[in-house]
Amino acid sequence: MGSAELLQFAVAGLKNGSIYALVALGFTLVFGSTGIINFAQGEFFMLGGMLAVFFVKLGLPLPLAVVAGVLATAVVGLAFERVALRPRRDSGPLALIIITIGGSMVLRSLSRHAFGGNELSLPAFTEGASIVVAGAAIERQALWVWGLTIVAVAGLSWLYSKTRFGRSMRACSLSHEASRLMGIDTARIVMVSFGLAAVLGALAGVVVAPLTQTSFNVGARIGLKGFAAAILGGLGNPIAAVVGGLALGLVESMSIAFISSTYKDVIALVLLLVVLFVRPEGILGRATREKV
Amino acid sequence: MGTVAPRIRFVLFAAASVVIASVPFLTDDRYLLKILTFVGLNAIVVAGLALLLGFAGQISMGHAAFFGLGAYTSAYLTTAHEVPWLLAVAAGTLLAATGGLLLALPSLRLKGHYLAMATLGFNEIMSVLFVEMRGITGGNDGLSGIPFPSIGSFVIDSPAAIYILVWAVAALAFVGAANLVRTRPGRAMRALHGSELGALASGVNTVGLKVQVFAVSAALAGLAGALYAHSVGFISPSQFSLEFSILLVAMVVVGGTGSLTGPFIAAVALTLLQYVHALIPGLSKDAAALIQDWEVDISGLIMILTVIFVPGGLAAFLKRRRSGAGEEGEIA
Repeated sequence: MGSAELLQFAVAGLKNGSIYALVALGFTLVFGSTGIINFAQGEFFMLGGMLAVFFVKLGLPLPLAVVAGVLATAVVGLAFERVALRPRRDSGPLALIIITIGGSMVLRSLSRHAFGGNELSLPAFTEGASIVVAGAAIERQALWVWGLTIVAVAGLSWLYSKTRFGRSMRACSLSHEASRLMGIDTARIVMVSFGLAAVLGALAGVVVAPLTQTSFNVGARIGLKGFAAAILGGLGNPIAAVVGGLALGLVESMSIAFISSTYKDVIALVLLLVVLFVRPEGILGRATREKV
Repeated sequence: MGTVAPRIRFVLFAAASVVIASVPFLTDDRYLLKILTFVGLNAIVVAGLALLLGFAGQISMGHAAFFGLGAYTSAYLTTAHEVPWLLAVAAGTLLAATGGLLLALPSLRLKGHYLAMATLGFNEIMSVLFVEMRGITGGNDGLSGIPFPSIGSFVIDSPAAIYILVWAVAALAFVGAANLVRTRPGRAMRALHGSELGALASGVNTVGLKVQVFAVSAALAGLAGALYAHSVGFISPSQFSLEFSILLVAMVVVGGTGSLTGPFIAAVALTLLQYVHALIPGLSKDAAALIQDWEVDISGLIMILTVIFVPGGLAAFLKRRRSGAGEEGEIA
């Protein structure tokens, strides 16, 4: 295999990896402030793409439709937390898992009712032929994927480290009880975490839609891969989520290059299982011990 | 079922058995019998999943894959190698149990969210394998021409006979599960559900127990899958998707934890919901299509509403609460 070809695969891997990273960030964000794995995270990805297509069909110009799609998904995320999760906020993991699974079922199915069962496509953000770098063609949309990922990660780290709200979120991830005693409105933090996770998921869904098309049932598998990425890095750590996402994208892409494309999805999932079994705290994570 | 007196429980079980057994004598509607056979098959899976999720508190989002593993194994052995039916079904059950064992062993370290994701990942892997291992599974086209159940020269080929076979197995599954939960392993499972650390401290081999329960419930799913393949004669990958796994979990959740009766009723109700259009005579075509179209939404919504408003599920209505036992049987 020539170096240009290899570079081509690396480009594809980093492109998909950025998408996984965005979805993984959503998982990590919600897990950080609530300890919940949100099984509906993949549906936020799906909704972002589907709603943007819907707004384009309504006649909105593309940039507005994209923003509207992301914001509408954020509203869904906030509402989902408020309506379905808050009533059982203090329950154990099983109840919350089941609520988010039920939620993903309903969101997927409602989306099919609203937007139909067909594959839909979104126009590319910028027209034009691919850019060729060292023999590898890079679609213009891939630049958007990377650009938006960088913006999202930068925005998130700014939020986490520089704002009062971000510090509250970090406090929540350490202890809800102590945060509440310090006067932090933990319920609001949790709700906003879901909103932000929805924004990240939707952003991924909308920016990749021009490349892959989208449909009502794309959420489950991207959710799994995003989770795999989050686990790979170490759940709860935003930087680890990005590293995990990019690593997963590259591994997948290289396995297509050197093994076969048939089992591309299996490789990501097997990787997920292996990491879960061998090192559930992730590559960059630290082990914790359960206490009584 | 903890608080209902054993005698009443026996009477209920006998009455349900009589009703179920009399169906083939009351109707010869082939489609209706087929639907009710599916109900029985789902009930078999749910018997195992209720043990795992409802009693031991371990979630599996991969039971559709075990169901598929049993179905493909038995179908492949009987169609490609003319293995006798009984042997093929046993092989399917055994392979599903082995799969459960292999998945459960490393999953021991995982709980809650991680276990759910690991089993979900397993289901997705199997979904891909069912499509891609064309030599055995027939790819997207699936396997057809799967023979009816037969023992020697005796062939079970009428819808009524298949119905009786499936429900006999379902009855055995529930009797076995009910016996299991009343004995030492059952108490250990409940202790595990309550607090894993507490159970461990009380001398429960939590690791061994989890693996055993997982393997048993995977075996039941595999058995149901094998029976399914031979009752419909055709299988394809889409029948063993994640959606089916989630529906099975929904049945146990809606039925309630720490109960077998609740999940059984929920399995019947949620399976029939899929075929409601065929069950209500005189239902207009449009209304039928509408119900069928919204079936997933309804199941998902029922699942969420149950966890929020009736954490004990149907079982909470079925049993009279012992004083001070209010927490028992809730989804924690």
